Amino acid sequence: MASQARRPVEPQNRFLRPLVPILIVLVAGIVFLFIGNVISASQSADSTPLDAGRMIPYLVVGAVVVYGLALLAGDRDLWRISTREVVYMAIGAALYGVLSWATNIIQLPSVSLVSLRPAIVIPIFFGVVFGPVVGFFTGFVGNVLGDALTGWGVSPTWDIGNGLIGLIAGLAVVFPRTRRSLNITAISVIVILAIISALLLLYPETENVLFGEGTVGAYWWIPLLAAALVAVAWVLLRDREELALTQMWGALAIIGGIGFAAIADIWWNGYSLLTALLGEFVPATSSNLINALILLPILLAAWRSAQAQTGR
Amino acid sequence: MLATWNYKERDTIVQRLDPRARLIFVFCATIATVLLWDFRLVLIPAALALAQLLLARLTWRELRRFVIFVGIFSVLLTLLTLLTGRGGAGVYTTEHMIWQGRVLGLAVTLSAERLAFAATQLLRLFTMAALAVVLPFTIHPAWYGVTFRRLGLPDNLAFALELAVRFVPSLSRDFVTTLDAQRARGYELERAGGILKAIRNIAPLIVPVTIGSILKGEDVIDAMNLHAFGTGPRTWSQELRYRPADWALIVLGVGLLAGVIVLRFQGYGGLWVPEWLLAMSG
Repeated sequence: MASQARRPVEPQNRFLRPLVPILIVLVAGIVFLFIGNVISASQSADSTPLDAGRMIPYLVVGAVVVYGLALLAGDRDLWRISTREVVYMAIGAALYGVLSWATNIIQLPSVSLVSLRPAIVIPIFFGVVFGPVVGFFTGFVGNVLGDALTGWGVSPTWDIGNGLIGLIAGLAVVFPRTRRSLNITAISVIVILAIISALLLLYPETENVLFGEGTVGAYWWIPLLAAALVAVAWVLLRDREELALTQMWGALAIIGGIGFAAIADIWWNGYSLLTALLGEFVPATSSNLINALILLPILLAAWRSAQAQTGR
Repeated sequence: MLATWNYKERDTIVQRLDPRARLIFVFCATIATVLLWDFRLVLIPAALALAQLLLARLTWRELRRFVIFVGIFSVLLTLLTLLTGRGGAGVYTTEHMIWQGRVLGLAVTLSAERLAFAATQLLRLFTMAALAVVLPFTIHPAWYGVTFRRLGLPDNLAFALELAVRFVPSLSRDFVTTLDAQRARGYELERAGGILKAIRNIAPLIVPVTIGSILKGEDVIDAMNLHAFGTGPRTWSQELRYRPADWALIVLGVGLLAGVIVLRFQGYGGLWVPEWLLAMSG
């Protein structure tokens, strides 16, 4: 007791602990930015200094991302791989491989256009139920296995993208599946979308990098529409918190994972931004979203009743 | 229609090599291909990939699906990149116009740089796919676990990989059994209806296989726990040993990658636009 009392007051809260070093690095980064500018300005007159006002937002966003990662990494239980995880990882990966192979092989005449992969629900389900590590392994290795079974070679960007789908879905286990948690997430998503929309209206002259010509001002309604959709879903599903939260994480997972794969292909395969967007992101995301959002609740309900029956 | 591994025992040079050496080589050659944008230089990894394909003595029947799928996919996406404009940022900065016009209402510009870019992109895509496609045909499914363990992956991840590969045939048997059972009860996969209905229609196949395999997994967990899994370092029944040929392959792969990195730092290996293409722009 005595030794404990003498110890300096430490922030024991796991939300505070990672904050201190990150803030120090952030401040140091900003200081270095200014020092670097001074040095480069003194060395030669024609070197353009880094625009500090432009760089600081990147630093802040980076710090927020690192803080989020540190919070998740600090949660030891989330990343533990015991016998349970090893077996579920293996089952998930084999299932994803076999099911994506099977739905490729069986010709589904009426579905062939949209249901590229009904099996996409497997990494999301394994992530939501067993956590991010199992989800990542299921998506990553499952995609490799499925491609190997069909004989399509390996596409590293899509393997990682599929892994990220499982990983992001697995983050759902961090948050309690309560009404309060649902309200907080829904409100924050709506607020973020509203801010994006407001930014579009405030700075309509920003050049549109996506479509080459024109400005972004005309698209202010798209985030608002998304916010309205989220709000409608929130109201409709407010009595079924677990379903609403898992669906939301599933949707986030697909957008994040496929977004990563499409963006990575710009560098990896040299696609143009528009190709990545129109040729990969939009078709893959929309078909996978439809598949996952329909099949995930069915699978989860079946899993809950199986759990209740076996008493595990 | 059981999902089995495409692996077949063949007495070829490729299959006598250590799988670790082959993975290292394929990894290095793939990264080297990603770094290169000069058509003439990409021909080197392309030739190596082709050599691997030929030495592995795969038949056309085995490769048909790969060639068709990768062909359609990469040609389609390359065309899309060509029509919509510049590819990877910074690969080229100036453009020499050859043709300008509208295709289906979309403004399309063809320049010497864009054409050279498209040709290189196609070659790169084929090279990367061909490098990897040989692996599942020529590495024994039971060797994946020990291969990754000896490459330095921790025991539990290597074992998860091994288990995953071994679960594939039994899970696909479960899937076929479920499909037959549902069909016997009057289930029709091809039942007409909207898109949403069609997707819901897959649930009777996916749900029993998934839940059943998770519940069966509990037995595997018990068995592994009884064998004290995860309490200490494990041994593997297979043993891998590098032989001179494996070292040669690793040196080839690492040398290729190192050479490409040096070339890139020297400023070579960027997009190559042939003279005759530039001449066309006039």
